[in-house]
Amino acid sequence: MLQVKDLESGYGSMQVLWKPSLEVKRGTITSLLGPNGAGKSTLLATIFGSVEPWGGKVIYEDRDVTQIPTHKKVDMGIALVPEGKHLFPNMSVYENLSMGAYLKKALVHKEESLELVYSLFPRLRERRNQMAGSLSGGEQQMVTIARGLMTKPKLMMLDEPSQGLAPKLVGEVFETILKMKEEVGLTILLIEQNADASLEAADYVYVMHEGLIKAQGTPAEIKQSADIREAYLGI
Amino acid sequence: MKKQITKYYPLIPVYAAYLILFLIGVNVEGMWQLVAMLLFYCALGQAFNIFLGMTGYVDFGYVAFMGVGTYGMALAITRLVGFQGLGLGIIVIGFFLALVMSSLLSVAVGAVALRLRGAYFAIATIGVNEGFRFLIEGAKIWNGTEGMIFTAELNRILGREAASALSTFWADVMVLVIAALAAFVTLFYMRSKIGYALTALREDEDAAKVMGINVTKFKIIAFITSSGFAGLIGATSWALKTPYVFPPEVFEIHYTIEAIIIVLLGGAGTLLGPVIGGLIYGISKYYLSIFMPGFQLLIFAPIIIVIIIMFPEGVVGMLKNRLKGTALGRFII
Repeated sequence: MLQVKDLESGYGSMQVLWKPSLEVKRGTITSLLGPNGAGKSTLLATIFGSVEPWGGKVIYEDRDVTQIPTHKKVDMGIALVPEGKHLFPNMSVYENLSMGAYLKKALVHKEESLELVYSLFPRLRERRNQMAGSLSGGEQQMVTIARGLMTKPKLMMLDEPSQGLAPKLVGEVFETILKMKEEVGLTILLIEQNADASLEAADYVYVMHEGLIKAQGTPAEIKQSADIREAYLGI
Repeated sequence: MKKQITKYYPLIPVYAAYLILFLIGVNVEGMWQLVAMLLFYCALGQAFNIFLGMTGYVDFGYVAFMGVGTYGMALAITRLVGFQGLGLGIIVIGFFLALVMSSLLSVAVGAVALRLRGAYFAIATIGVNEGFRFLIEGAKIWNGTEGMIFTAELNRILGREAASALSTFWADVMVLVIAALAAFVTLFYMRSKIGYALTALREDEDAAKVMGINVTKFKIIAFITSSGFAGLIGATSWALKTPYVFPPEVFEIHYTIEAIIIVLLGGAGTLLGPVIGGLIYGISKYYLSIFMPGFQLLIFAPIIIVIIIMFPEGVVGMLKNRLKGTALGRFII
């Protein structure tokens, strides 16, 4: 569904991505692991187009989308749930979710998307008229994921969805991610610091370090390799 | 259909305020001068609010668009004065030129500066009016430092009496019309997808991007609209009311500062805010300069600080939150 080939990008004159390549198969959860500063977020941002690619290719559904602007990629069914809680604090939960259905294609499905989102996150239905900024950290994270779902994506990229959450909530987030794969049929590309939980949920894993893919394999293979675990994951 | 009309209810208090102002100005002896000044400030706030209020970006170069608009009108009058057949048409062309020139400048500035965010954008725009002023003066464009005085041309086009009526009365009425128009456009934006996109990008630009909103496009739309209105205000308040234009006057940064104060006092991003802000600002400025000449700024600064501390969202911003959900709330946004 998504192929990344030798992607290069960075900020100013500092190169961050040194030609990583990866593939995300339809209907799977692909997890991107690696230490801080490995370039994981930059890789997602470059795929999404919010950081400009310097070289290499991004292929989505057999189409070269490397140079396609971000807002068009959303229209094509790519969603990014950014790191940190980027929501609209002075809008209600419902308004936040509605913003997710901003584009025409998503707007047509707004009601069913809302139902889906409320069934995945019953809490959000209760809190729909509350200002998003006044929610707890975990609830805010739910809103950002739910708002991503409202764009009616086929591929969902999640940047550290469990960051800053209590262990109990981390479990909830991963349950939701599994549900999104199994019940909604989404394809998921996931960045996580939480290697254990991530290895549990993923179908395939890439390990990134210093802007490069250093290792890849099924979660079982990664777990078996003591070298990889020690060198990059610290587990 | 009914829903269509209720959508525009918030215009009622705005237009009522303008009407009351106008009636006071026409009927009360000696008040027109104050009313004219208030109309200018309300129009300025209303126009600036379309950009500052809706996007949250501060444009320190805003006055440049007013200046360029002034030049647009001045050029139309001085260059077309020979074509007597055009008559009032020259003024119409002047407005058109003011609109086009200020919009073009805003496209040029916006294309570069709107790539920057927050404080960086503000800093980048500080130089715009100074740069433009020195360009006009240094390259001797449109008479350079000498500026243009076109009282005689205006008299020739309209006749002495009409020209004087224009500068003492009709120019101010036109400012009122521009302010009313700006209010309408503001509400129209608020009620359309443009408004949602702008609100989203004001709240969190990254999140707006992730929603598939082409943030650059909407920022530029708001920027051009706001700048176009600035051009029209310049063409009226400055070119028609006082028929001369000098670069140091029309590129004076303190008008930008006034616009910022008005919008923040009244409530950025609200419809009624710039009107209330304009009234508070204009009235205090006028009476302070009468009763305490020379001290007005000394007293004015603390007043502004107090208002900002008491109502961080502006007077109307506070009202709007208080009245949310009530019957009155439908009229105040």
